[in-house]
Amino acid sequence: MVGQPRFTLFSLVNGLLLIGVAIATLYPVWYILVVSLSDTAYVVQGKVFLWPKGLNLDAYKEVLQDSKIPRAYLNTIFYTTLGTTINLLMTAIAAYPLSQKDFFGRKWFMLLIILTMFLNPGIIPNYLLVQKLGLIDTFWALVIPNAIWTFELIILKSFYESMSTSIREAARIDGASEFRILFRIILPLSKPALASIGLFYFMGHWNSYFLPMIYLNDSLKYPLQVVLRDMLIFSEGNRSNLVDAAALAPQALKNATIVLSMIPVLMIYPFAQKYFAQGVMLGAEKG
Amino acid sequence: METAATKAGKAANKPSRLAAAWKHMKRDRQLLILFIPCLAFYLIFRYGPLYGLLIAFKDYSVFQGIWDSPWVGFKHFEKFFNGNDFALLFRNTLMLGFLNLIFSFPFPILLALMLNEVRLKWFKKSVQTLSYLPAFLSVVIICSMVIDFLSPTHGIVNKIIEAFGFEPVYFLAEKAWFRPIYIISDIWTNMGYESIIYLAAIAGIDPTLYEAARVDGANRYHMMRHITFPGILGTVIVMFIMKTGNMLRIGYEKVLLLYSPMTYEVADVFSTFVYRKGLLESNYSYAAAVGLFEALVALVMLLMANFVSKRLGGQGLW
Repeated sequence: MVGQPRFTLFSLVNGLLLIGVAIATLYPVWYILVVSLSDTAYVVQGKVFLWPKGLNLDAYKEVLQDSKIPRAYLNTIFYTTLGTTINLLMTAIAAYPLSQKDFFGRKWFMLLIILTMFLNPGIIPNYLLVQKLGLIDTFWALVIPNAIWTFELIILKSFYESMSTSIREAARIDGASEFRILFRIILPLSKPALASIGLFYFMGHWNSYFLPMIYLNDSLKYPLQVVLRDMLIFSEGNRSNLVDAAALAPQALKNATIVLSMIPVLMIYPFAQKYFAQGVMLGAEKG
Repeated sequence: METAATKAGKAANKPSRLAAAWKHMKRDRQLLILFIPCLAFYLIFRYGPLYGLLIAFKDYSVFQGIWDSPWVGFKHFEKFFNGNDFALLFRNTLMLGFLNLIFSFPFPILLALMLNEVRLKWFKKSVQTLSYLPAFLSVVIICSMVIDFLSPTHGIVNKIIEAFGFEPVYFLAEKAWFRPIYIISDIWTNMGYESIIYLAAIAGIDPTLYEAARVDGANRYHMMRHITFPGILGTVIVMFIMKTGNMLRIGYEKVLLLYSPMTYEVADVFSTFVYRKGLLESNYSYAAAVGLFEALVALVMLLMANFVSKRLGGQGLW
């Protein structure tokens, strides 16, 4: 009897509500895709809802010919790849000593780290520090000041702690250095945890606009999100009475850019959701 | 944290303790070397900015630097509390945080409960997967969608309003709409991924409880009401307290994209104000003072949340 799909009013209503949730989630994303493929004239008249009207790829052609967008795309790929690599490396190394129960000063180091979750000096002091270090307008400003996320560090440390210590001990007795133990034994066994925190770092870099916006001055260095944000502010005619068709012309272009920026995310997310859920859970247990 | 034994040892003979520590350090030298980058990172980038906070008590000028700028005591704080900024920002931050907490909180729980009732595996899995999607989108994209949907000329929401014969609404230009827009888009973004925690809590409920209830003739609604919900209540309470502690941490990146001078009166929060005053108007000292005040208020909230959580017999949040 268990699990027998009995069709009741309860399950019907429940199912319909969930279909509603699914549609509400999917539709905005679908709409962006549809607009990006539609003729601008129809979009401006508000005639595009479910399917593209005047189907064409003009917006995408325009994106590719644009002076800023392809470059911003490459910038984003570069920042994300290098940034995530540095994040993962720093976190993987930092979590290892902290996971050793009798590590010298472990308690104090942990206190030093945990305290930072409560102290948030704010935008201005961080900015002044980055400025002082001469990192303004460099890619490093996006990576180094956030090289380790405390939350992900704690997640990884807990993961290391949950691993069996016997291989480690054996390697130590055989005279292997800690460095070797970490890179040859611990890291290969930590792939699921690394994938999980790597996903969060990846999403953090790919989607960030605020830090690049305040730390980068040269528009040639802008990542995609900052360019998108500029397009958004540009079409801000939406918010005043000054709306005219000309201000809305970049609509399809903007949406095509959004679609292109979402592609990598949409491609990885069905596969990555396992790691995503795992990360949320690890975080919740620790938090 | 230290045991009585180690404390007694400390008092008894310091030199041998030092020697022991030295020995300990020497034994762990490889680990310590591995730890250096992390330590340097935290000292420079997490504690270093605290030095920059000094400018909240100075008249910072870029040419004189942090140390040589003249001290002015609490001048900026006085200006902040005596002017109009404080009342406005405090009210906006608190209102937005509070309303968002109250309205957003039930949705992930409801979604988890509803998903749990689905017997068709593929359907449950599909809805669940889809519901995570918004969490993967950037705040710029989400705000772009919001602006498109609410556009007075071509937005779908206004098309529907017009279809009913009403005038289009300039949603983003109207003060009354700012908070609902912020909160609804937050629900849309976070509902799916926050439900993960509750689904896991549901999965942890003892299945024999359901068996027993079924034998007693309980239907699905009864089981949801009397087994599933009480089963996750602990998680719900912990999450609520945690969220209360973080209530004032407004998603200012989103506010920055959705607000405009027309809506500052309800939309401007501490962080957005700090950003504008400090980085756009180069009024660093004043902005740093406001930022410091915000950090202190947030800290107090967090400590209070932790206190309550411990009092309720649960574990602390850290």
